[in-house]
Amino acid sequence: MVKLIARPLDRKLLRDVWRMRIHAAAVALVLGCGLSVYIMSVGMRASLERTRADYYADYRMMHLAASLVRAPDRVAADLERIPEVAAIETRISGYALLDVPQIVEPASARLISLPLGGRPRINDLAMVRGRWPDPAKADEAIVSEAFATALDIRIGANLAATIHGRRHVLTIVGIANSPEFVFVSAPGELFPQPERFGVVWMGRTALARAFDMSGAFNDAIFRLSPGADDQRVRSAIDEVLRAFGSSGAYGRDRMMSDRFLSEEIKQLTTMAIFLPAFFLVIAAFLVNIALGRVIATERSNIGLLKAFGYSDLAVAWHYAKSALMFGLIGASLGSIAGVVLGRAIADIYRDYYHFPTLAFSAGLLTFAGAWAAAIVAVSIGAIFSVWRAVRLAPAEALAPPRPAVYSRSSGMLARFAARLDAKSRIILRRIQRFPRRAATTIIGIALAIALLVVAGAFPAVMTQLLSVHFSVANRQDVTLSFVAPREIGVMHAVAHLPGVISAEPFRADDVVLRHGRLEVREAVLGLPFNARLSRLIGSDGQAVEPPVAGIALARALAAKLHAGPGDEIEIEQVSGRRVQARIRVSAIVDPMVGSSAYMNIEDLGRLFREPGRISGAHLSLDPARYAAFNAQLKETPALAGASFLRQAERSMRRAFDEGVGVMNYLYIAFAAVMAGGVAFSAARVTMAEQERDLATLRVLGFTRGEASYVLVGELFVLALLAVPLGCVLGTVLGIWLMRLFQTDMYSFTFIFNPGGYAFAIAFTLACVAIASFIVRLGIDRLDMVGVLKARD
Amino acid sequence: MTIAAETDPSPAFHTIRLSKVYGDGPTAVHALRDVDLDVAQGELIVLLGPSGSGKSTLLNILGGLDRASSGEVWFHQTALNAMRERALTDFRRRHIGFIFQFYNLIPSLTARENVDLVREIAEDPLSAEEALDLVGLAERMDHFPAQLSGGEQQRVAVARAIAKRPAVLLCDEPTGALDLKTGVRVLEALVEINKRYRSTTLIVTHNADVARLGERVIHFSDGRIRTIETNAVRAPPSELKW
Ligand SMILES: Nc1ncnc2c1ncn2[C@@H]1O[C@H](COP(=O)(O)OP(=O)(O)OP(=O)(O)O)[C@@H](O)[C@H]1O
Ligand SMILES: [Mg+2]
Repeated sequence: MVKLIARPLDRKLLRDVWRMRIHAAAVALVLGCGLSVYIMSVGMRASLERTRADYYADYRMMHLAASLVRAPDRVAADLERIPEVAAIETRISGYALLDVPQIVEPASARLISLPLGGRPRINDLAMVRGRWPDPAKADEAIVSEAFATALDIRIGANLAATIHGRRHVLTIVGIANSPEFVFVSAPGELFPQPERFGVVWMGRTALARAFDMSGAFNDAIFRLSPGADDQRVRSAIDEVLRAFGSSGAYGRDRMMSDRFLSEEIKQLTTMAIFLPAFFLVIAAFLVNIALGRVIATERSNIGLLKAFGYSDLAVAWHYAKSALMFGLIGASLGSIAGVVLGRAIADIYRDYYHFPTLAFSAGLLTFAGAWAAAIVAVSIGAIFSVWRAVRLAPAEALAPPRPAVYSRSSGMLARFAARLDAKSRIILRRIQRFPRRAATTIIGIALAIALLVVAGAFPAVMTQLLSVHFSVANRQDVTLSFVAPREIGVMHAVAHLPGVISAEPFRADDVVLRHGRLEVREAVLGLPFNARLSRLIGSDGQAVEPPVAGIALARALAAKLHAGPGDEIEIEQVSGRRVQARIRVSAIVDPMVGSSAYMNIEDLGRLFREPGRISGAHLSLDPARYAAFNAQLKETPALAGASFLRQAERSMRRAFDEGVGVMNYLYIAFAAVMAGGVAFSAARVTMAEQERDLATLRVLGFTRGEASYVLVGELFVLALLAVPLGCVLGTVLGIWLMRLFQTDMYSFTFIFNPGGYAFAIAFTLACVAIASFIVRLGIDRLDMVGVLKARD
Repeated sequence: MTIAAETDPSPAFHTIRLSKVYGDGPTAVHALRDVDLDVAQGELIVLLGPSGSGKSTLLNILGGLDRASSGEVWFHQTALNAMRERALTDFRRRHIGFIFQFYNLIPSLTARENVDLVREIAEDPLSAEEALDLVGLAERMDHFPAQLSGGEQQRVAVARAIAKRPAVLLCDEPTGALDLKTGVRVLEALVEINKRYRSTTLIVTHNADVARLGERVIHFSDGRIRTIETNAVRAPPSELKW
């Protein structure tokens, strides 16, 4: 029925859409922006999840792992007997200093043994090039692909490594990736520095000899049978391995690589919801404005259609169709842009996440979701306007619309109006008379400002994070970590390394913290008083001293434990003596990076009954002797690692620039589309409504500029009203988003960045100015004579 | 300028072979064909003619709203046909008061504010009270157009046109939408202003009886002036029949 009678209207539909092309373009672009982000993030998320799942399944990624001091090989049989363990592999794992001539600083590697009997049953390698090492040849090794690429290591190349204090020259026979190391960063570093840290796989016999581990292992990895109770298996493993110095079995949530992937997936989810929702709301607004306008001008058409016997449904469907058309154009745009964006983001991901292959592909369901969302958004926008059309009784619709009854303002507004010139009064009265329309425009522009405020906040927050972390908290040039805790006396030797200006010790222990039934595994750091290099950060972003007594918790950690100052928590070492103690929380601190617990170094040493033992040192260096320092370092075997702060900063900055930076340009482009779309729509509607008044003004002898004032003025008043709203909205959204993006690794706090607000406001007003300037050109083409012939 | 125009002995308007063609080729419409006309300063002229004969077109060209296709239009010593858009706007602003059939008030402004609108760009305007008083609307000053009857709205339009004491009043069917009584009031106001400020006044009408108001009556048809009569005796608006 609807179909039959709708046919003669179809040509009119196309004409309508063409007539509303500015609105159509605005709606389609805004929808396109939102949906492209939706498709990009949902598609990328699905691609990551699928790729990860396939990779983990195909290469048998471990479910659990445990590292220990040393266990004889026979213990493997005990582990194998644990119910629900499907497979177990014992390994020898350790760290080596590498002497890579291409770089000044020492590089290091994680060494992992390959099983005697061939390929690993768990954490199999995806070989990129080359072959497996010959078990008979002790010097053959495989290196991870990112490391090989960064240092241009080819098959057959030699690599000098200091393993357990002895120098070895390895021959690279293969280059591979592993599901265990999709994301690779050195211990203690957040972001990858592929030229300074890699993974090296060697034969079990060779590595056992190098580490004096013959007939023993120090690392066990497990795959569980489907449906296994993770917790129960872990306890069983701990039962077996406790005697061998295990620090406890842990799951994928504590494996660095998987954890990063999960965080990334979580952030993509946030992104898939937030931005698109924002844009869909605006699109609905724009549809409402556009259709409202068309229906207002087509009152008599509607009356005619209904008088001819078209049903309400047919009339509603007719107008709803143009909205749907907008929606479909927008959904198509968004689908194409989403795929383009997705491919671009996959390129960035490939730099950070090393899968055998990672390609963006959005599923049919993702597109279906996007199209459905587009249709829902335009329908909601259309419903309110269309409802008005349907409600019109034919006779009423055929009669000219009742003139808008303006009213004089009262109170303050009246006094204000009295002081205005007549042109400004027109603006004021129109806004007063059509508050809903004005509100729509204000909200649209405010949302654009809000989006820009949020976009502007991200780089400011990143800059703040980097500057607090690297200029206030960590002012050392390098942090050395010892293989095992050393007596404080070693500081004397450290201070005498070439180029060292000052040195500060620290102690770090892996612990489990418990409060009530809550339990978190974290690191506790012991720091000296009056530190100049590595310091704690208080809530004001300034350095604070470590607690005189008790323990200070990072805010995120305190939140996880539901613990605050004054609460007593339980602390237990996960390795070494496994000392357990109760300790009072003395303060909450705000490190920007990490979420550890902190004590003063003497207390921590006493607590764990190792007074005077330290884990490493922070150093500041004389730049002139940087090379000499590093040359010496490359020959210092007792070091587990050296972290260079400038490099850490660089890798962090690069990660932020690529991730947040790219998103930021996108945000700005999208905000421009949004501000422009809203401004154009509003300007078009205002122009259409005011055409007659503007022509009258021109007839009366007002110049084009003076007539434009009424048009542009209205838009600008609305835009100015939108400014405070947009700033508040942006701030609220920013705070909320920062909270969503918060991870264990870094805590973002929204910072009020006046420059960001200024940019948001200026940029949006510029968009409004451009839109109104373009629409204003219509005043030049006003047909004064024609307009005056028509009755209003 | 208003003062200068009043003392200038040259004709207020002088047209030479004024033509207006809409479109071209076989579908071209000749709205005006070679119109030669002189209008004296302060004169009150009534234009009569069938629908589509070109009355509005002429009025619009004289008022600087529209341009002729060929020929010349002079306002005293200035050639309107040579003016740029900007100058025409200025010309309308300084010298012309328009009154249209459909009033064309700004709906968001009260009667007084509609008058104030033109006072803001006029040199030596009447006060809004004076102007509205002249059309007998002093009490309805603070009403919006939607709150006024058609006749009242047209009187506001008249007040708006006269507030700047224009040298020229161009009225296109000012009573077209009004009944006798309100039409008479509007015409009375126009005649009064013409008398008081010596504003050159052209009134287009379909009502032959209104012609008795004018000093001269111009009969239009098919884009041409057919005849021009001079009324020896002018009737006051109150004597008009509809
Ligand atoms: N914009 C236009 N495009 C084409 N033709 C036009 C246009 N405006 C007017 N015309 C034509 O010019 C002629 C003169 O029109 P005009 O409006 O001057 O007539 P009029 O004498 O004022 O008629 P009425 O008494 O009906 O108002 C008419 O034939 C009209 O169709
Ligand atoms: Mg006419």
